[in-house]
Amino acid sequence: MSNRDLSMLTPKELARIERDIARKHIGKFPWLSVTAGIGVFLCWLALWPLVFMDVIPVWAGFVAATVLAIIGYLPSHEAQHDIIARPGSRLRWLNEVVGHVSTVPLALPFDLARATHREHHLHTNHPELDPDYGSSAAGPLKAIWKAIQNIQPRSKGGHNAYSRTLLRLGRKDVLKGAALYRVTWFLTLFTMAWTGHAIEAAALWWLPHHVGYVYIQYYLSWAPHHPAKETARYRNTRSFRAALGNIGSLGMQYHVVHHLHPRIPFLRTPQAYWEMKPVLEAQGARVEDL
Amino acid sequence: MATALRTLFRFGPLIFAFGFLAPLIAQIIQAFEVTPPFGLGPLAVGLVLAGLLGLAAQVRGRWV
Repeated sequence: MSNRDLSMLTPKELARIERDIARKHIGKFPWLSVTAGIGVFLCWLALWPLVFMDVIPVWAGFVAATVLAIIGYLPSHEAQHDIIARPGSRLRWLNEVVGHVSTVPLALPFDLARATHREHHLHTNHPELDPDYGSSAAGPLKAIWKAIQNIQPRSKGGHNAYSRTLLRLGRKDVLKGAALYRVTWFLTLFTMAWTGHAIEAAALWWLPHHVGYVYIQYYLSWAPHHPAKETARYRNTRSFRAALGNIGSLGMQYHVVHHLHPRIPFLRTPQAYWEMKPVLEAQGARVEDL
Repeated sequence: MATALRTLFRFGPLIFAFGFLAPLIAQIIQAFEVTPPFGLGPLAVGLVLAGLLGLAAQVRGRWV
């Protein structure tokens, strides 16, 4: 690709090359994501007896649960895009199982995540229509503060933005399901707390939920779209060099490829990015930082 | 159902304060073996602190 002069090609021709590269990566079964999704859930479940029986201290349980809650979003994200299995296909049930269980540590209802994430893709950076627009901020510290504000009861962003989006879409079924999910989560926490296990519940579920939400908002919403001013296909998302590296940023350094070709499995995104980069540059994409 | 859920979420901070924060504070006091002032028990302290925090969050619409 690097030997080819792309400057003479039309946007249509460039898009064809881009699609050809994307096609090489689409359709591969994401075994690692499936394994990780179910593994995250099982590991998180295992933390409960480990902490209750004092096999590991509660602080270690908190660290592990937080990491699992954050990592768990990624397999769910694959499922949100039907990457594990398309609707109607033989393994569709696996797509749904992974989607649902991998976000249990984060206490995030899968149907809510799927419906609102699709709107984010359709209307990226649109102040009214992008449900994740509330994470936009002038800089990294302000983004963290904004993410904390977004998880407050009467915030404009976060779950309240998701509720508005679902109402706009007429998806009251998803909204009701998400509300019941949240009530069930709270009731579980309350029951644990009043039966003498508040610290364990806080360490393994309540705090990981909040830390995870902030982390995910920072790296999945804010960083790849910053400054969130443009809505055009090649301008609404960027590649960037994360302070915590590609693993620490949950692979979001290459998020531009995900927005252009959401069906490329997460773990193939970096390779697709490097193959596509000259084409993306020629298309005017925001790939100057990486 | 929808009305019940809306009402629950409207009073979310107060419900959360008494449902979770109060026993959490009480159990933290016990875990660190702190003696509460004025002869209060850990749960009483938890209820007072959580109640104040919850009330503030309920009025302001945010915990922080």
